[in-house]
This record gives sequence, structure tokens and C-alpha cells, in this order.
Amino acid sequence: MSPIEPDASAAARQEWTSRSIGSSWQHQCFYLMFRCGGRRAAYLLLYCVVFYYTLLPSVRRKGSYYLNRRFPTAGAWERFCNSYRMTLELGKVLVDRALVGILGPKHVQIELQGKQEFLDLVAEGKGAILINAHVGCWQVATSVLGFVETPINLLMQREEGDIDRHHFEHAGIECPYRIIDPRGHLGGVLEMMDVLKRGEVLSVMGDRMLGDDRNGVEVEFMGGTVTFPFSAYKLASATGAPIVVLLSYKVGPDSYELKLYRTIRVPAGLGRGKDKFIPYTQEFAETLEGFCREHPFQFFNFFDMWQNSPNNQT
Amino acid sequence: MSVKEKLKKVLIEDLNLEDVEPEEITDDMALFDEGLGLDSLDAVELVVIVQKHFGVEIKDMVESRPAFQSISTLAKFIEERMT
Repeated sequence: MSPIEPDASAAARQEWTSRSIGSSWQHQCFYLMFRCGGRRAAYLLLYCVVFYYTLLPSVRRKGSYYLNRRFPTAGAWERFCNSYRMTLELGKVLVDRALVGILGPKHVQIELQGKQEFLDLVAEGKGAILINAHVGCWQVATSVLGFVETPINLLMQREEGDIDRHHFEHAGIECPYRIIDPRGHLGGVLEMMDVLKRGEVLSVMGDRMLGDDRNGVEVEFMGGTVTFPFSAYKLASATGAPIVVLLSYKVGPDSYELKLYRTIRVPAGLGRGKDKFIPYTQEFAETLEGFCREHPFQFFNFFDMWQNSPNNQT
Repeated sequence: MSVKEKLKKVLIEDLNLEDVEPEEITDDMALFDEGLGLDSLDAVELVVIVQKHFGVEIKDMVESRPAFQSISTLAKFIEERMT
């Protein structure tokens, strides 16, 4: 494994943005479609819009880094179709998220697999760290976690000028979660420690670096090397909180599943060295890779996370 | 040994601060970024170190934020809570 050049990996991430590629009026068109014709009308528009975007080489290139690894033998036509499918799945997720906010949660069915196991982990009283990834629709999926009596806190960075709205914003209700901003004091670490000490749930993204490159470790993922954050595993070691890999995926036009894929236990007192956290970060990477095998078009990766991998093929 | 001196010693040992001697750490030296050069995740280690070596549990991290400025502020925080 070769060391990652911090500047280069940061540059690769800068290419990615969580901002919508659509403009405000395009979003308004979708909102109008659901109000007039519900999900079907919005999806109908979506098929056309996604086809247009898939024709753009810049859009296909952003998705190709992941898709070329997931489907290495695909020819040109299959690559085009794969790009269309992945962008379409992302579009459906965004439509569903807005739909839940505008028309109400009853318009999406969500089934949670592993509910009792999750409740048992929270009942240990050491808090719990939910590790999500950019898959499925975590915003819609986490809306079913209301049965957990303890508060849920999200580590979330919102880009300035992003017009993409969350389901609770569409609904005009108060955010049901407490948001911890990683750009805050010490990256929000103290607030994260606080919520875990109170036995609350902390939800973080395990597949995307936010901020300081020193908070990442290199792990193997889909035949290459990527940098994933290890802060969650360090917090787990310091607090005794179990880590729960909870990933969502769309299973039908109006239904999602949220599945507890794995529980990761990090021993106490691992200390400062980042290398000690690699095995646990690797466990997450393996889980995510398994998810990509099961749901290849629901891992929404649109930047070259393998840029510094020695065997980079893209 | 004063709290400040012990704090400097345990920080060097537990955080594996290479090529740093306790005498080189001044009382008002910032713990993070410039200064001692700790990063945000080292705040997690600091919480553990304070509990392990001084028996002081930092319960409210946000309220305790000012303590994480320098050796002096952290030592003062510990002294006020040591039994």
C-alpha cells in the first residue's frame, strides 16, 4: 500500500459535491409533478431528465469511477446503461425524499431488519454509533427510527448554496435530529463524545472524508485503496459505544429496507495511532462492498475515491 | 509533582509525542493546531487521559470546551474537580 498524498486525495474529494446538479426551477417542476400526479408523474419526468443528463459525458464520467470497478468487463453500451441506471436510482431516491416531506411518510413503506438487535445495543447504555454510507436513502430510512427512545444526532455538513432539501424541510417541520457540524470546534468531536456519554445515538457517514485528511486511514475497497474516516472507531474505543452498520436500499416503487448489516466492536484504549483502527474501518469497507454486490446501482459515488490507489484503473 | 507537570508528562507518554520534552511545553501553549499540534481526534484521547490519570470525568464536553485551550486551562479544570 502506498501512502496517499494528502493534497491529491483532498483534490479528488473536491471534485465531488453534495450539491444538486439541477437548478431551482427544475426542482420546482418535480415538486409540481408530485402535487399534481404523485410519484408516477414525478418518475415520468425523472426518466426523461436522467436520460438527458446521462448523455452528458461529464455526468457519466463522475459515476464511472465506481461503475468501472463494479462492472469491469462492461462494454460502451452497457456502461451507458449502467450510468443511466445509477443516476436514475439516485433521482428516485431524491424524489422519494421530497415526496415523504410534501405528501407525508405514509407514501413510503420502510422495513427495518435487525430492529431488536439495534434496540439491545442501545439498551447497553453506552450510546450507539450508526455508520451509514451514500447508499439508498438514509434520510427516508432514518425517519423510521422514531421507536428508539433516545435522541438521534447526525454528523452532517451541508454545502453552502445547496438547494436540495431534506424531507423535514419539505414538510416544514423542525428537524427531528440534532445536527452536529464537522466544521465546528474541533470538528464536532466534543459534541460527539457528549452524545455518546449520554447514551444517545450518533449517526455518521463511513465512506466520505469530511475535513482533515489526518482523520482517514487507507483500506481496501473494490480492488483498490481508498481513504475512509476512522473517527467513529476512535470514538467507539473511547466510549465503549457499539458501532452499527445500518444501510438502506430501495426495494420497490414505494418501499425501502433499512438493514443492520453488521455490529463492530472496537476494544477500549486503542490509543492515538491511526493504524490500530484500520481493521475496524476495513470491516466497514467489506460490508459496503457486500452491499455494492447486492445493490450495485444504489451506491451513489460520483468522484474518484480510488485516485491514489496503486492499481487505479480508471 | 504539580498537575501541570504531570499533565505534560502523561500527554507526551500517552499521545506518543516524539521529540518533545516536558520542559519544552509551556503552560500557555495551545493544545491544538499550532502549539502542541494535536488534531481534533486527539480531543478524544485527552478526555480519556484526564479520566485515567486524574480521575476526573469530563461529563459535559461542550461546557468544558474552554478547558481544551492550553495546558494551564486544562490543569485548572482538573484541579477544580479533583477530589
